[in-house]
Amino acid sequence: MLIVKNLSKTFSTASGDFNALDGVSLTINTGEFASIIGKSGSGKSTLLGLLGALDIPTDGSIEVDGVDIAKLSANKQTTYRAKKIGFVFQQYNLIPNLTALENVMLALEFGGMPMSKRKARAEQLLTDVGIEPDEQLRKPTRLSGGQQQRVSIARALANKPAIVLADEPTGNLDSETGKKIFDLLHRLSRSENTTIIAVTHDMDIAGKTDRTFKLKDGKITA
Amino acid sequence: MNVISRGIKNALRSPLRSGAIVLMLAISIGLILSMLVARSSVNAKIDDVKSNAGTNITISPAGVMGFAGGGNNLTSAQVAQITSTAHISSTSATLSDQMGSTDTNLTPSLSLGNFGTRQMRFESSGSSSTSSTSAQPSEFANRPAPTPRTTVTGTTNPDSVSANGSSLTITSGSTIDGKSSKLVSLIGKDLATKNSLTVGKTFTAYGKTITVSGIYSTGNTFQDSGVIMPLATIQNLTKQVGEVSSVTAKVDSGDNVNSVVASLKTTLGDKADIVSQAQQAADSVSSLQSIASLALAGVIGSAVAGAIIILLAMIMIVRERRREIGVIKAIGGTNRKVITQFVTEALTLTIIGSIIGLGLGVLVSGPMTNSLVSSQNNNSSSSQTSGRGFGGGAGAMISGGFNRISSNFSQVTSSVTPAVFASAIGITLLIAIIGSAVPAWFIARISPAEVLRTE
Repeated sequence: MLIVKNLSKTFSTASGDFNALDGVSLTINTGEFASIIGKSGSGKSTLLGLLGALDIPTDGSIEVDGVDIAKLSANKQTTYRAKKIGFVFQQYNLIPNLTALENVMLALEFGGMPMSKRKARAEQLLTDVGIEPDEQLRKPTRLSGGQQQRVSIARALANKPAIVLADEPTGNLDSETGKKIFDLLHRLSRSENTTIIAVTHDMDIAGKTDRTFKLKDGKITA
Repeated sequence: MNVISRGIKNALRSPLRSGAIVLMLAISIGLILSMLVARSSVNAKIDDVKSNAGTNITISPAGVMGFAGGGNNLTSAQVAQITSTAHISSTSATLSDQMGSTDTNLTPSLSLGNFGTRQMRFESSGSSSTSSTSAQPSEFANRPAPTPRTTVTGTTNPDSVSANGSSLTITSGSTIDGKSSKLVSLIGKDLATKNSLTVGKTFTAYGKTITVSGIYSTGNTFQDSGVIMPLATIQNLTKQVGEVSSVTAKVDSGDNVNSVVASLKTTLGDKADIVSQAQQAADSVSSLQSIASLALAGVIGSAVAGAIIILLAMIMIVRERRREIGVIKAIGGTNRKVITQFVTEALTLTIIGSIIGLGLGVLVSGPMTNSLVSSQNNNSSSSQTSGRGFGGGAGAMISGGFNRISSNFSQVTSSVTPAVFASAIGITLLIAIIGSAVPAWFIARISPAEVLRTE
């Protein structure tokens, strides 16, 4: 259960304060696949960053399973990110000099899994998202965009997070591959009962999610 | 795969760039080592010179230097004062004179030459100069000049005449007792050859017949053309009883040399010039001391250069991997883990640089130290190798080269004392710490929200 109340984020710029988010409130149930749509600059990424504890809100609260993550210390926020959140990014953001397998193992390390169990778990995760064993030993540059996004989904799911936050997960992919990635995320939210919140431009994708929030000028409009 | 192995792996991520950083580091670390080696060997040399500097003090009459200058000989009273000074363990006294053709039947083995002629130009101008110094004994009054002369040294210790201060080399016969007043002598090798003198033969000096007791050789042409007799014998023959032209006093310990010099200056006043070997040694190493401080400046300079190289390299790497650092933080990596990873990376570069740098240092510091302080030992070894190179062609030249490297190596390793090694390691660690501290601060400030920025 994710409850966001009256969330605001103000950035100080040279031309004065800028309200990226202005009193956003929403509730998403556990296991729901939600999408956030909006134009560039509407505050989508800012909202996602706050939900993932990448940044601290100016005002308001974010309650995840009864804990207000906005009030956690920096160290606790890092632990929250490691254990409760999985990120999927538009640019995949895999570590370039680590293999696909090592990228997933890195997340397991941060999640606190003992070293001896990491490899088997990472191999399982990658197989689940459709990465073949020989591809698992490749570095990201030797994988296609779709494959890289699959690896990043495996990484996001590594520590069985409560919420997966996806920032334009299909934005860099052709429509066919994008659809496959979307289906993968959809399947996972069903099988693992994971809450998925995806920011997207794509109205086709947004239409298939359980719920859609529309952001405009830092406010929820629908 | 843990944070340490990731750091090491990252250090080798871009071989060309890492290679360039490592090479720059290696050069500065090599410089640090060779400067430390230079400094320690220069310091060792300074200590060596100081500790080997004798405790001898030479007291000569004020104004007299060899046979030049003017003044009065030291009297027996003054010699007694010197002998009774505290901390003086032994003394030897000498009285030197020059014998012309009226004094002796010996033919001088030194030719007069330009130098001798010039020294005697005043005496050849006539009898007026000699009449003004009529206080001198009559033997000296009417010397025909210019002619070469034979130096005779009366000494209480014949060994004190040797050029290097060690015992006099007697090539035949036996030495003489400096304390006696017998009409015996030691003859220099050149003078003996010139006059066909051998042990047991006699010659005339100051109207007396002197027996040759032994022939000596010093390798010094001036000294090998002289005569040595007991001090008392010369004092009697030249009618200068009790007088000496030089006293060499040995001080019981190097620590007391300065106090003895001071007390002698008080007792003898302006009648004598006093020179201590320790003072001469200190003067001679002052240039070495400036080399030592120069080397220290070199150590500091190369350490600073090394620190700046690794610092800039790490700042560059951190800036370039901003996004990657953001990703690691976003997926739950703590600041400490990210910093440990980058410090490991910096340490890996520094360690590889150190290994290469120490190797460079070993190759470089030998010649570098040689050029700063040329020591006899190295001169002989280099002349040896060059000799082989000419003699035996290419093969010998290569072996000469290897000899040179191995001699440098043994020389350097002998000067790489635990202290030098410890300071080299300490400086290297310091470089790595400085090189990581600032980038670590940058890392801590990178926000995980960096990942959401689209470029």
